[in-house]
Amino acid sequence: MKIDKKILNEIQDIVGKENATDNEVILESYTYNWCVEFINVMEGKDPIPFWHKPIAVVLPSTTEEVQKFVKLCNKYHLKFKAQSTGLGPWNQPSEDDVIVVDLRRMNKIVKIDPKNMYCVVEPYVTGAQLQAELLKYGLNCHMPGAGPQVSPLASSTSMCGPGFTSSSTGFSGRNVLGTEWVLPTGEILRLGSLSLKENSDWFHGDGPGPSLRGIMRGFIGTKSGLGIFTRVAIKLFPFPCNIKQLEIKNIIPNYDFDIPNYMQFHLISCKNYETLELAFDRIEKEGITFMCFHTSTYGLHTIFSNTQEELMNRAVASPRIKNPLVVLITANTKREFEYKEKVLKTAIEELKVKDVVATGKYIPPNIAYAEALRSALGMHGFLATGAFQSTHGSMDTSRLCRVLMERNLPLKKEYIDKGLIGNDEGKGNWSTSYEHGHFYHIETPTMYDQTKVESVEGFVEYLDRCNKLDLVEHLGIPFFIEGDKMHDWYGPQCSNYHIWLRKIKTKFDPNFVADSGFYISPEKEENKTT
Amino acid sequence: MNNQIKKKLIEICGIENVNDGQEVLEKYSKDQSLVDPIKPLLVVFPENTDQVQDIIKLANQNNISIIPISSPNKYRFHGDTVPKSDNTIIMNLSKMNKILRIDKKNRVIMVEPGVTFGELIDVAGKNGLRLLNPLFPRKSKSVLSSALEREPPIVPRFQWDSSDPLLCTEVIFGTGDYFRTGIAAGPGTIEEQIESGQAQKNPMGPTQFSPYRLIQGAQGCFGVVTWATIKCEYLYDTEKLMFSQSDNFEDFFDFMRYLIKYRTADEVFIVNKVNLAALLGTDISNLSNLKDWILITNFTGMGQFGEDRISYILADINDVINDYNIKLTETLGNIDNSKIFEIIHETCEESWRLKYKGGFQDIFYLTTLDNTVLHYNLVSKMTDLELGVYIQPINQGCGVHCEFDLYYNPADTNEGSIKKSFLEISKKLMDIGAFFNRPYGLWADEMYARVSNETISALRRVKEIFDPNNIMNRGALCFKEE
Repeated sequence: MKIDKKILNEIQDIVGKENATDNEVILESYTYNWCVEFINVMEGKDPIPFWHKPIAVVLPSTTEEVQKFVKLCNKYHLKFKAQSTGLGPWNQPSEDDVIVVDLRRMNKIVKIDPKNMYCVVEPYVTGAQLQAELLKYGLNCHMPGAGPQVSPLASSTSMCGPGFTSSSTGFSGRNVLGTEWVLPTGEILRLGSLSLKENSDWFHGDGPGPSLRGIMRGFIGTKSGLGIFTRVAIKLFPFPCNIKQLEIKNIIPNYDFDIPNYMQFHLISCKNYETLELAFDRIEKEGITFMCFHTSTYGLHTIFSNTQEELMNRAVASPRIKNPLVVLITANTKREFEYKEKVLKTAIEELKVKDVVATGKYIPPNIAYAEALRSALGMHGFLATGAFQSTHGSMDTSRLCRVLMERNLPLKKEYIDKGLIGNDEGKGNWSTSYEHGHFYHIETPTMYDQTKVESVEGFVEYLDRCNKLDLVEHLGIPFFIEGDKMHDWYGPQCSNYHIWLRKIKTKFDPNFVADSGFYISPEKEENKTT
Repeated sequence: MNNQIKKKLIEICGIENVNDGQEVLEKYSKDQSLVDPIKPLLVVFPENTDQVQDIIKLANQNNISIIPISSPNKYRFHGDTVPKSDNTIIMNLSKMNKILRIDKKNRVIMVEPGVTFGELIDVAGKNGLRLLNPLFPRKSKSVLSSALEREPPIVPRFQWDSSDPLLCTEVIFGTGDYFRTGIAAGPGTIEEQIESGQAQKNPMGPTQFSPYRLIQGAQGCFGVVTWATIKCEYLYDTEKLMFSQSDNFEDFFDFMRYLIKYRTADEVFIVNKVNLAALLGTDISNLSNLKDWILITNFTGMGQFGEDRISYILADINDVINDYNIKLTETLGNIDNSKIFEIIHETCEESWRLKYKGGFQDIFYLTTLDNTVLHYNLVSKMTDLELGVYIQPINQGCGVHCEFDLYYNPADTNEGSIKKSFLEISKKLMDIGAFFNRPYGLWADEMYARVSNETISALRRVKEIFDPNNIMNRGALCFKEE
């Protein structure tokens, strides 16, 4: 379908002629995204990285423009899909005849409030931009594992949100304060202290009374399936060390960095998953870490490499580290640093594990310290095959992470042995502590070859088996349980949550204008009970 | 009608758990607030989740409102559990009082609504855990209710999300449907989840919504929570109190921000001398050697290097304290520090506010630290009553709970004038942006009149989903019957 020119003109009247288009070339460019090939396979199509072409693309610059556009969608029964920095298939229209709302013109840091430790951002502000400004105040923001190039607003309101610094900066969905949100009806809903008609402020996200953050998102967000978020206040954290700016030397791939005072990586080798679990809990007990996460030996080499050559060298020449736990200690003062190092050293002794950095067997490159501060370690995942995606994705305890890793190991090996997915010995997991060990997250990054049909199909089959494993073995709900098919599968096993989620969709999107391919569709008329 | 309902409730809960004695109804018709009394039809005491579910289903069939409560009658204060219509049943959950699980490894405790601070602080401590409790909670106060009502914990560094310490819940919605929130939703029963290593800690979800945030702060308007998991911390091994005094509480602000920013202090809050006296259970005349405003902060350490933690923090503070222009002391006048530890770690037999003069009305809301100066200047000019002030940073420093306590002796005070003063001050504060995020009793109409129509409309849509027949605490919040 092509968009009616009359409707396009009306959209252009709202956002300006140059900011709405149905130009075929532009539309084609919105069909690509990372990992779309496996979504296509899941739908029984060819494993190509292109999906549904939108009928138009709109670039609003204000909340009011977003509101007017959404009202127009209601008037003409058109569907929209919003995206900001847009990493991943969840940002794509899930069907034909959808208008993409590209929020790249809404790119302002609205406010930094150092006294009350929060900032307010629009959708297209990236974590990197925000962090650069926050550093001037000695503050830091949580960034998701996707990296500093993605939108903190998207992560906070609409996506998931574990990150490499989660032990000290938490989870995106738990750092949300006042929020501005254009509902699928076109109403502008403002949450918490922002909901006041006069003297509103951003410092709090709940109430008065019940918190509407409860419908805004869950463990994962609604991925534009329940409207468009235009501004959000997010909680900030102290910058972990006392520096004024991040100065990187040399050029890619030979970046270098002067490690600031009071920063030290520790790579702890754990003989098995049981020891890893004990190490997680013990080391997080006193709340001393800036980072505390597990990755496989191969994953470790990856995050410390900037080229494939370096990765191969590390894989061959580096000592074998069993079930590594990566700990980064940071401090603002010498005393604080010495205390934390002392606590960690004692914990390592108690656990009878080895810190291969302390023994001089493994030296993380200097640039890894900058990338740790920048939350840029995740992007190294592309180094090996150019394509990877995670399965599972639950969050609860360190024991759950261990059990899931143990039970996933033979399953992953089966697909490695078949030559369908990358060989990480079945141990390609990523697990992190949040809030100094209050929660733990587990996902299993998996490499595949997007240029080979059998590899993409193999990954999809493995993903499906992972989802079944979680259901049968009661390992929590994976983060890819979204969309009608998945919700209708998992919901009946999980308090029938899909029924309530669908009621929310029905009440808040009565004309079904928000693309719900990665959320849930409304109740059918015959099923409505209220 | 009344007899039929009573008969069915007796079938559900047993005759010993249904009470419609006039004296009891009279007690439950009011609380310590200034809300007009209305008698309930009866009071029912369910003993398990199935009974709660059956009662809610019965209420749906008979268009009866239910108000869930878990505190004993004497100590209800804010009007939220006073019936707002004639056709109301009080569901008293105090007989559901089991500590279902204590999990030190995962720092979490699962409790039923009737479990009190008096019991749980002690039990938690014996298991190496500490609760994120509000300031000097009443011994008989429900831990679950406190978390559901978003009472401010006194250790802001441990409150990572404004919903803490509430984690997962088991709830019967207003429809009568059973649900578990967060990761507790499934897959698997609770026992199966524990078998796979879970501890019902992740409160978010299931998947793309977080119903625990809807039922928190809802004053029972969406359903009845029958158990919850409560986020705890490891018990410290050593601690050190520090104090500062000033004639002007603004003097504390920058130093408080420093403490909160670097997550060094555990307990940290400001009280004026009136509230310190109330907390200590003494007369203000006994505190004549103190300045008007007091900053109380406590540093803790655990394990082999617990003392080292406190030492480095205090040494670092010593390096910068001159920048903040305040003086820190290890004691507060001639008050024994054990009295202060009691306030921050233990419970009071009866409400410390009530005990002070026999009567009080507390006005509390959220704001930012700087705004409290303007608010105090306003309130102090609006009342001749003895005025207690308590300022508690929350949510790792993103805001503060600000509380003004109006103290009076009921025997020599006109309730009408108290009510007038209480409402005038509350309204004036709302007019200048005080965010009453827990809009109880007399505040509800005033607060929602100042909130956007879109917010009210959204809340009503949520109410239609989870309580379509409007049986849960009918008339509370913005859910008045048209």
